[in-house]
Amino acid sequence: MTPLLEARQLTKRFPGVMALREVNFTLAAGEIHALCGENGAGKSTLIKLLSGIHPHGSYEGELRVDGAVAEFHGIRDAGRAGIAVITQELALVDELSIAENIFLGRPPRRGLRVDWLEMHRRAAELLADFGLNLPPEMPVGRLGIGHKQLIEIVRALDKRSRVLVLDEPSAALTESEVAALTGHLERLRRQGTAIIYISHRLDEVFALADRITVLRDGASIVTLKREEATIPLVIRHMVGRELGDLFPRRRTEASAAAALESAPAPLLAVRDLAVAASAGEAPRLRGISFEVRAGEVLGFGGLMGAGRTELLMHLFGAWGHRASGEVELRGQPYPRPNPGESIRRGLVLASEDRRRFGLILDQSIGFNLSLSSLGRFVRHGRIDQAAEFVGNRALFESLRVKASGQEVRVSGLSGGNQQKVVLGKALQTAPAVVLLDEPTRGIDVGAKLEVYELINRLTEEGKAVILVSSELPELMGVSDRIIMLCEGRIGGTFERDEFNQERLLAAAMGRAAVSAA
Amino acid sequence: MITRPSLQKLALPLALLAVGGFFAWQEPAYFGSRNLTQLIVEFSMTGTLALGMFMILLTGQIDLSVGSGVGLIGGVAAVLVFQHDWPAPAALLAAFAAALVLWTAMGTLIVRQRIPSFIITLGGLLIFKGLFWLVIQNSTIPVARGDRDNLYSLLTTYYVPPAVGLALGAVLIAGLGLMLGRARSHRRAHGLPVSKSVWAAGRFVLVAGVVLFAIVRLNAFRGVPLSLLILGGTAAVVYFLTQHTPFGRYLYAIGGNEEAAALSGIAVSRVLIGAYVLMGVAVALTGFMTTAYSGASTTTVGDLMELDAIAACVIGGTALRGGRGSVGGVLLGALIMTALLNGMTLLAVSPEIKFIARGVVLTLAVWMDVSFGRARN
Repeated sequence: MTPLLEARQLTKRFPGVMALREVNFTLAAGEIHALCGENGAGKSTLIKLLSGIHPHGSYEGELRVDGAVAEFHGIRDAGRAGIAVITQELALVDELSIAENIFLGRPPRRGLRVDWLEMHRRAAELLADFGLNLPPEMPVGRLGIGHKQLIEIVRALDKRSRVLVLDEPSAALTESEVAALTGHLERLRRQGTAIIYISHRLDEVFALADRITVLRDGASIVTLKREEATIPLVIRHMVGRELGDLFPRRRTEASAAAALESAPAPLLAVRDLAVAASAGEAPRLRGISFEVRAGEVLGFGGLMGAGRTELLMHLFGAWGHRASGEVELRGQPYPRPNPGESIRRGLVLASEDRRRFGLILDQSIGFNLSLSSLGRFVRHGRIDQAAEFVGNRALFESLRVKASGQEVRVSGLSGGNQQKVVLGKALQTAPAVVLLDEPTRGIDVGAKLEVYELINRLTEEGKAVILVSSELPELMGVSDRIIMLCEGRIGGTFERDEFNQERLLAAAMGRAAVSAA
Repeated sequence: MITRPSLQKLALPLALLAVGGFFAWQEPAYFGSRNLTQLIVEFSMTGTLALGMFMILLTGQIDLSVGSGVGLIGGVAAVLVFQHDWPAPAALLAAFAAALVLWTAMGTLIVRQRIPSFIITLGGLLIFKGLFWLVIQNSTIPVARGDRDNLYSLLTTYYVPPAVGLALGAVLIAGLGLMLGRARSHRRAHGLPVSKSVWAAGRFVLVAGVVLFAIVRLNAFRGVPLSLLILGGTAAVVYFLTQHTPFGRYLYAIGGNEEAAALSGIAVSRVLIGAYVLMGVAVALTGFMTTAYSGASTTTVGDLMELDAIAACVIGGTALRGGRGSVGGVLLGALIMTALLNGMTLLAVSPEIKFIARGVVLTLAVWMDVSFGRARN
């Protein structure tokens, strides 16, 4: 049987790099085919070839649709051939309604006028088909990211797309939204749609995919049937080397001793905290109490919108108005936090959105590394640039940032290396308490391991780490204790020996009492 | 690894050469020592204002009020000297304080009330213009009484004795050489790439030559003007602030990504207000020089100078969206702008055409900034 889509010996060169080398790839109708690989392995480049962003003629090799050589000169050509790409940067217009977005650029018409009735009727039909209970007139801007992604899929399907390419669709979704998406994708597969699925989350890949192709350094390494693949095997192909335990949380004697020593005086103590977005509004966080000691990793989990990011941002002083409650940092009350003061007192935050909140992209690695701690390098009113350089180099090397030097601009680094710079900037402030918000989002397996190693090192040095993560296995692997947040309240607290995916998830969904009973 | 100067870095000197060459060809008196002296005085004014604007633009903000401010602050000092018989230093100090108050207020309004700087300073442009004309009663107020020189009038009429001028030039060149050499050896000591010695030496000799040539030509008229030393001092301070202090780093960081800067613990509001206060300082200095240069405060002093300052910055590679630019670039941009305006005046180009030429240069510079910004992303 001819495959629906076939890539033969695709090679794509950029000045100085070979992004793809002789990649072979086939996709059959009614198949979900996962693409796995570290950042920079060539997944995005391959998608860009398939979707016509890199036009025919800019690469070597052949692209075939239904067995015939396809020459895409732009996204529209690929769209006409039935290929739709849904990326992390969603192409929806927030101000327009769901219906308008679905029919963007091709509204049903009656003569010269847009036929609004018909548009809303058909949109409602499509949404119902997809099991989405949403009014078609609703502005897309009011939807969460999960729903937005589904709207894009609805749009792609209505355009009679036969091939759906999903690039990291689950990165911004909660577990329940991922489950819903999975259900939809399985239904589409049964109806004969071919799906290319790209995700860093291997458990998802294994739950969905019929076949898995691993890319490494621009080459297609192997294509496996799901039955013959295992997670360790795929990871080994991705990194080209064996990886040890995926979540190497160590409670060493050093970190345990530090925790014991600070047991009576936790580094950070929060009592009955209530926080509103701004003064006078209803609190978004309520009744939050916890303590974290030196050498400990406290994990925060919860569904999207549970208030995890808001909690970290508030403790750091970058969000919200404290309605009530007390925070003690290293034994001192800390009633009115702000980022500068937090850093001086030894509390630092590495934000989840590194491009928006973490980095000055236009500047060098060194500029970013020392930005939060310039005060340490000032002598007689001026920055001692030699001392700064040496201080940065220590971090640059210990974090193993992959770049030719600290003068390289941050915007050109891969996601994992950018994340290392964000972490380095936080560590440069010599903190006592480190708040990490989704430190491994969108980075590859190798870089993830290095982040886990770093967390271990921090606790051994007697620091306290507060970790927010959407991935339960990661949260369970790295934390000593986990607090699940549910709609701004604590849904449950779990010690390491009580960790269990179902119980944690139940706590996140407010069913702790039920499952405990 | 950069071992050769890129075309982009050569673009500014080449543009300057082209402008200079064109006017010298049209009118040989262009490089005559009298005109060169005038050009340098005008450059000092545009350059000082542009250096203030540079720090505002670095943060991604803008200030449209500085042209009116130049007139107002110069006018206040002139009225105090001429109508109230204040000693010049006291009058300058009072006007200087007024500038600080006004720009602190504007900066605070922009930061605390979160009103776009474009709107606040557009309001400032009109309000300061009105205040200016009120202060000088729509008339012409000389900067000195009778023929007696005072500190105010001397700002643009005092020239450093030739020997002192040469000595200053020598000190400048020696200092520059020392700085460059130390920077290179530091970079080498840390294993960083340095440009080839030939290029570095060549560039240094070229700069030294231009400085010496300029001093000799200036000495052939009356010497190095005091206003150039004011610009030099301002440039040194701005260079130190932007390249060697946390405040300067923060200007770049805020312009690059304000949210990330705030989360890095930078007191964004304070830094922004600081930039506006420094803008006030530059406005006061420029106001005094510009008013002294025209001999009296009249309603047209400072007209459109905000646009020349912005154009100088953008020509010199300062990004309008913030986060990128250098002092050297701003100075070169200001020199190009001044060379153009001065040349057109010398050729007696009509004011209509001068307006159009200024507009074309500003538009071209911004267009280049925008397309360059796109190429980087």
